[in-house]
Amino acid sequence: MAFVALGQGSSGKTAAPTKASKVAFILLAPGMIYLGLFFLTPLVSLVITSLKTASFTGEIGMYDYAFQVSNYGYALETYFPQIARSFVYAIIATLAALLISYPIAYFIGVKARSKPMLQAFLLTLVIAPFFISFLLRTFAWKQIFSNESPATQFLQSIGVLAPDQYVIGSSFAVIAGLTYNFIPFMTLPIYTSLERLDTRLVEAGSDLYATPAQTFWKVTFPLSLPGVISGTLLTFIPISGDYISASRDFLGGSDTAMIGNVVEANFFRIQDYPTASALSVMLMAAIVVLVSVYVRKSGTEELL
Amino acid sequence: MATDFVARGQDLELVGIRKEFPGFTAIENLDLKIPAGEFFALLGPSGCGKTTTLRIVAGLDEATSGKVLIGGKDVTSTKPHDRPVNTVFQSYALFPHMTVLENVAFGLRQRKVADPLAKATEALQLVELEHLALRKPQQLSGGQQQRVALARALVNRPALLLLDEPLGALDLKLRRQMQVELKAIQMEVGLTFLHVTHDQEEAMDMADTVAVMNKGQIEQMGAPEALYDRPKTAFVARFLGQSNIFVGDVVEENANSISISCNGQKIAAPKSRSEKHTGRVALGVRPEKATFHEDKPDLDSNHNLVGPGEIIDIRFTGVSNQYLIDVPGFGDITVFAQNVGKSPVVELGAQVWVSWKVEHAFGLSDLPLKADNDEA
Amino acid sequence: MKEGLPQDPMMRQLVQMARGKMLSRRATLLGLGGTAAVMSLASCAADTQGALTPAEDLSDSEKVLVWHNWPLYMDGEDDASYPTLNRFMEQSGITVEYMMEIDDNDTWYAKVKDQLALGTDPGFDVACPTNWLVNRMIGLGYLQTLDNANMPNKVANLAPAYLGDANDPERTLSVPYQGIIGGIVYNKKMYKEATGKDAPTSLADVWAPELKGRVGLISEMRDSVGLTLLSQGIDITSDESLTEDAFNAAVEFIAAQVSSGQIFNIKGNSYGEDLTNGNIIVALAWSGDTTILNAEVGEERFGFVVPDTGSTISSDSFVVPMGSAHKKNAEALINYYYDPVNAAELAAYVNYVTPVVGAKEEMLKTDPALAENPLIFPSEEFLSNVFAFRALTGQEEQRFATAWQNVLLGA
Repeated sequence: MAFVALGQGSSGKTAAPTKASKVAFILLAPGMIYLGLFFLTPLVSLVITSLKTASFTGEIGMYDYAFQVSNYGYALETYFPQIARSFVYAIIATLAALLISYPIAYFIGVKARSKPMLQAFLLTLVIAPFFISFLLRTFAWKQIFSNESPATQFLQSIGVLAPDQYVIGSSFAVIAGLTYNFIPFMTLPIYTSLERLDTRLVEAGSDLYATPAQTFWKVTFPLSLPGVISGTLLTFIPISGDYISASRDFLGGSDTAMIGNVVEANFFRIQDYPTASALSVMLMAAIVVLVSVYVRKSGTEELL
Repeated sequence: MATDFVARGQDLELVGIRKEFPGFTAIENLDLKIPAGEFFALLGPSGCGKTTTLRIVAGLDEATSGKVLIGGKDVTSTKPHDRPVNTVFQSYALFPHMTVLENVAFGLRQRKVADPLAKATEALQLVELEHLALRKPQQLSGGQQQRVALARALVNRPALLLLDEPLGALDLKLRRQMQVELKAIQMEVGLTFLHVTHDQEEAMDMADTVAVMNKGQIEQMGAPEALYDRPKTAFVARFLGQSNIFVGDVVEENANSISISCNGQKIAAPKSRSEKHTGRVALGVRPEKATFHEDKPDLDSNHNLVGPGEIIDIRFTGVSNQYLIDVPGFGDITVFAQNVGKSPVVELGAQVWVSWKVEHAFGLSDLPLKADNDEA
Repeated sequence: MKEGLPQDPMMRQLVQMARGKMLSRRATLLGLGGTAAVMSLASCAADTQGALTPAEDLSDSEKVLVWHNWPLYMDGEDDASYPTLNRFMEQSGITVEYMMEIDDNDTWYAKVKDQLALGTDPGFDVACPTNWLVNRMIGLGYLQTLDNANMPNKVANLAPAYLGDANDPERTLSVPYQGIIGGIVYNKKMYKEATGKDAPTSLADVWAPELKGRVGLISEMRDSVGLTLLSQGIDITSDESLTEDAFNAAVEFIAAQVSSGQIFNIKGNSYGEDLTNGNIIVALAWSGDTTILNAEVGEERFGFVVPDTGSTISSDSFVVPMGSAHKKNAEALINYYYDPVNAAELAAYVNYVTPVVGAKEEMLKTDPALAENPLIFPSEEFLSNVFAFRALTGQEEQRFATAWQNVLLGA
């Protein structure tokens, strides 16, 4: 909106900027400065770094300015499995979070509407995990499913896992951890849209011969779609870049690394800044493309 | 699907319906029968239980006890989507994510009726909105939305069409227009309409039969004219139009009439128009049936006469003037006088007598409560 | 830029030429592309622009010292009593701020390298990173030369094995704090149950099918890959034997163990949790941790063996960055820990190899059993089967580390 206000001011018929545009500019300035300083500068820097070339001296962590586009090819080629894995994990975890969150959000937003105390209590429960550090929660999961834990032994005893199979270190553990950690990000937007759902529309559906299931798919779900879209975006984007759950120090193993882990390793372990930067830029570009396609397909452009 | 695509309306019968909510009883033992093809209005103030009744008929609420029969078939435990009933909701409840046409076709698609879009278009033609078929509901005006809601319900040819104050949100002009259209459509398609409203004019204007509901019970039911002409309870007398009500003990009774003594003056009513003939009785008369006189008239025994009193308020409503006359011992009496061109007939503060024919008086079965006065 | 040049004269000349070019090109860039320089990541500011000089030593007026060290590396750490450190503070009047900042060489280095490169105060006066990182810091000229005159105990008691390093022959740029031996840590009871044997003796035992999914590796490349290279008959101390091909072969071997599921996980210090909670039965890991893990679980649950093909050894050393204004205070600290009495007390707690001659004799007085522990006071015979990973050039380091990281990332 502010952009529009500015645009009108500067392209107005009078030479002097209108009062409205001045106000808009003043209001906009802190945000623009903030974005410029903390988003654009690092982004430009990231792109510049991603094109650097190794220093002639061969010292570790030394790079010279260059225009080495092949860094991208190298990163893509070397780390394709992790890139693909990131998106596969992110899609599965997002879907799982959606399947778990929707009924919760529906219950809190629709069924518990007449009981504000219960509603508030359940919402608190959804947000409660945020009161504990992300790392600690993930760590707790690691303890619960450690190899000698009762939970793992139970799964082995009922044949879900073979005797030499374990939970921690598996793709399942990582996806479960990702799902768990991002459920509130999915639940809250869906709750918000369901909370506004006019239940009279649901009654209208049943009045017009639709069974509860048909009413859900034809009325309730389409009306909660904005919440579902923002929930999936809020979940999918951070999951794609997550490096805690998949880390070997947490729920991951030696074949669960995601892009985040690769970036971390390249940045901090082997000081390969160009590759790390190239991966970051590609991850960002891939997410922008995926999200635009998704939002366009789902017909909720106004969210962007 | 449990229902057939019926062409004619069916009758509705409610037997001993009772609905309790935590803390209060919304409906007490309600019995009601609506013949097929009738336009039936359920009239009452908000909170009287009329909307709850409608929701029980639609299946959206479950009665605590009692039975609902449609076309003689017990549908008490039938789910709403299996009942041959459609509702025009007070809020219209149009699906905001669908076009007008898709809204109307919704019920047809659910019942897998052949060619739903063509039938929906026909229904939109009936309400003269086919040119807006591809708009979204929120792009339509209130009256247009109301007509879409009507088309969406009508297109299913339900045995029974429920209307939940569908005109409540419209302005007066649009409401009048819609009332005419609704009535015309009902006549044309021959469905049974159950219309819930708190607007007595609307109910009387459109319905074949009106049931006045109060505190979970039907107070009186009948044709609009009958209800207006002979209200049987103080509530009906005051909710349906206005009434002047006088309370007193019966002091005289003959073959044709009863008389009460009210502040030393006798007021009579025909026996045939009175519910109670002994003890303390309330008699009433409609304001337009009363006339006032600047000089004390000399009237026969077929008239009641009270006064003198002072005119304390005169209101001009266009077609008539409303006079409020304070008669000592009788309280305020309202008199409507036809606007015949020279007004006001009398000045504020004038001393007048009020008279009306005994045959226009009616006797009530109960005594007015203070609360009823406020609603009149 | 005097330090860090290859020994080979021809290579040295090449590198010097390259540096000359690089400098002039950078100067141009700085002149023309100021914006680009401003926008460059802070982490890329590590490009040094000339030889660094030590900060002015304010030790005489400022009796303070900030020490970055590893966790589980100081006596009295479990109850924060720090007996030897507190005694040093009392005796010297120097206030030491002891910070357990180093959890991993790479991540710690990533945090401080920009200040190191600029020669400004990196937030510590003395730190104890591992020798390969120390070598890199020496090569880049980040470290101050210490004055032996202020460290008589070091001159007298430093074990001769630690002298003569190509980068720091007199050990005046870095002074060993503790020696670390890499070998096989195993859960005694679970190992017996799984294999029927009492203890593993070689790396072949670690790759036994009975231990599938129960093997952990430390993510420290020089130990995990080093032990594997030794088991494949490679001399890890020699340039000729430890070639890039040999290294890659060992990395591939480990990668195969990962994909077959033999290896449960490869991680940093947290491998200890996998041992204590039973996730793994054996690990290629560090000797000192074994004693600490046993102390944690309250029983002699874990054992440590040197594989028959040999163990790796490395050391963590005191270094003082150019940006530190408290060199003399640091020298006092080093001198203090080279007193055999103090060294013995420290070694008795942390259970790593002490580089201080005479500590064993002191230990005999207080804890004779511990004094006979070869992992703390290794005998000549023991040391003959312990090898240090050879120094790597920058390019080698980059390539080796990348190959190793790719195993960790499951590529």
